[in-house]
Amino acid sequence: MAEPENIPVEHQNADPVPQETEEPRFLFTPPIDIYETSDGLVLHADLPGVSIKTLELQVQDNKLTLFGRVHPVVPPQARPLHQEYAVGDFLRSFILSDEVDHERITATMTSGVLKVVLPKAAQIKLRRIEVNPEPSTG
Amino acid sequence: MPVFRWGHSWDAFHDFEREVDRLLSSVNFAFQGIRLGRQYPSVNLYELPDEYLLTAELPGSKAEDIELEMGSGLLKIKGRRSEPNGVPEERYRRQERFRGEWERTLSIPERIRDEGMTAEFVDGILKVHLPKGEQSQPRRIRVSEGSD
Repeated sequence: MAEPENIPVEHQNADPVPQETEEPRFLFTPPIDIYETSDGLVLHADLPGVSIKTLELQVQDNKLTLFGRVHPVVPPQARPLHQEYAVGDFLRSFILSDEVDHERITATMTSGVLKVVLPKAAQIKLRRIEVNPEPSTG
Repeated sequence: MPVFRWGHSWDAFHDFEREVDRLLSSVNFAFQGIRLGRQYPSVNLYELPDEYLLTAELPGSKAEDIELEMGSGLLKIKGRRSEPNGVPEERYRRQERFRGEWERTLSIPERIRDEGMTAEFVDGILKVHLPKGEQSQPRRIRVSEGSD
């Protein structure tokens, strides 16, 4: 099995879905699991057929969007005899709570499963400001 | 955004409406796109001039955990999908992905050269090549005149 690969999480304001002019494609909502850990949340999404190269993961404001493009694995001349799933892309987005530290989100992709680690933001520490006497000038 | 309204609501219903709104808005409407209620894994079968191709969506599986058996025109695939170990059930906020053991048996329309079968597993998609075997020649059956 392939080693998990790290995926850069983009922080930007662009439209997460690439606009391409080609024939309409199926778009599916991938099933996900989310569980809590002591450090935050872990999300898994089933994205069969999506590789690290065809996955886009973005955080915009407080919205996490995943978009995975799927390329057909069979040659175009293959004649379908029996079809239980249609080949299409995956899209889903999530609203992140303020508890999540947006800057420290990491993601890996293994065998068509995306894992996103959403760490809890550290408690805001009170910063002590030292008050120094004004240096005497003279 | 209000997504539920009575035709003519009374004041007494406002709280109720708000509650229904709250419940409905917590339902993820994107769920409609989720392909639930299907057999796991979903498989497709394709035909090419010299082979059949079977594909199955098995995200998160390991190649070594997938078993393939071919015999008597039936292809059996089975395996198990386990979850991250040691995560107690109550820690899940969402659980939509399939877990557990699975098995599918599919009938293959023609003779297959069993020894030529190959399978690959990439990005959670299993692809099985089933090369078509020699077609047996149609056998002529003589009909002889019955003798009384």
